[in-house]
Amino acid sequence: PERSARVSKVRPPLHQYIRKLLFSDLDKSSIEHVLRQLRKLPWSECEAYLLKCFMKVHRGKYGQIHLIASLTAGLSRYHDDFAVAVVDEVLEEIRVGLELNDFGMQQRRIAHMRFLGELYNYELVDSSVIFDTLYLILVFGHETSEQDVLDPPEDCFRIRMVVTLLETCGHYFDRGSSKRKLDRFLIHFQRYILNKGVLPLDIEFDLQDLFAELRPNMMRYASIEEVNAALVDLEEHERIVNVEKANNEKHSDSEKIPSRTTSGMSVN
Amino acid sequence: MKNRRTKVVVRHLPPTLSQSTLLEQVDSRFAGRYNWFTFRPGKTSLRHQSYSRAYIDFRNTEDVIEFAEFFDGHVFVNEKGTQFKTIVEYAPSQRVPKHWSKKDAR
Repeated sequence: PERSARVSKVRPPLHQYIRKLLFSDLDKSSIEHVLRQLRKLPWSECEAYLLKCFMKVHRGKYGQIHLIASLTAGLSRYHDDFAVAVVDEVLEEIRVGLELNDFGMQQRRIAHMRFLGELYNYELVDSSVIFDTLYLILVFGHETSEQDVLDPPEDCFRIRMVVTLLETCGHYFDRGSSKRKLDRFLIHFQRYILNKGVLPLDIEFDLQDLFAELRPNMMRYASIEEVNAALVDLEEHERIVNVEKANNEKHSDSEKIPSRTTSGMSVN
Repeated sequence: MKNRRTKVVVRHLPPTLSQSTLLEQVDSRFAGRYNWFTFRPGKTSLRHQSYSRAYIDFRNTEDVIEFAEFFDGHVFVNEKGTQFKTIVEYAPSQRVPKHWSKKDAR
């Protein structure tokens, strides 16, 4: 049959070089060298392409995603706008993934969760971004007509997303307000899980590992009723804490005002 | 805490929209009211289509509200008559490049 041979993509040399650095040269021992080479690039010419390659973390080895995050951190000293763009782009990818729920994108979506976690570890995003993302994963598209397409009952992919992100950076949420935030999230996560019903064994094992790692003493609720009751308790507790906080502030305010008047009066 | 956010993302813009066209529309009402603007062009190919996107960091939180009232749900129509309904949201990461980003001496 008459058919033209498949034309392979010809990339400009600069793009080929960037790909060589990121997809074949990069490893633990070469990262300093790769960073230096990247800094030497003509940035105005290739920043957009570099961003595109950084988003292809799923092309490289899963265990090397932290190297790309490390490069982002290294470059942020000289090209802060690039580091900002990387973070914005990963968050957008995660969002688009939720909007499309395309089976073919799963490997890439998992790599992006890992990348976001590593960007947190390299201090390029703060914990509020991580928690906002975690809650977004639990609720996106729910209570809309699209729920059955975006997160069908038998689909456990979002559990994998949460597990991946928390495996990567959850161990840092072990004190102070981020500890409380993770405790709270994990109860919401448990409700999400219980709504899925019976889980495939591999997912259940991943979850057991995650809880053992992050919160070995946390209760795993057995039913929706139990977890709902726990959430009601939690909300009540948070409400009381907030009221106390507000009262304390009011109290300290009301102390200040009379003291000022008294001192004013004593002058008189 | 939440109402101090000033960076927004404008999503679901037509893939073929150009930065200058969007900037013209933004500047017609919001010129001088933002510190930082960046545009990510979308793409149309046979297999994939991705929307264009923009990030804007406003000077004041009130400007964010006014911008959202103006642009959220705004419908762009491309040459073929396809409609694109814009979404305006707070950007999930509020980080903005530092202006004093030093020049790389390599």
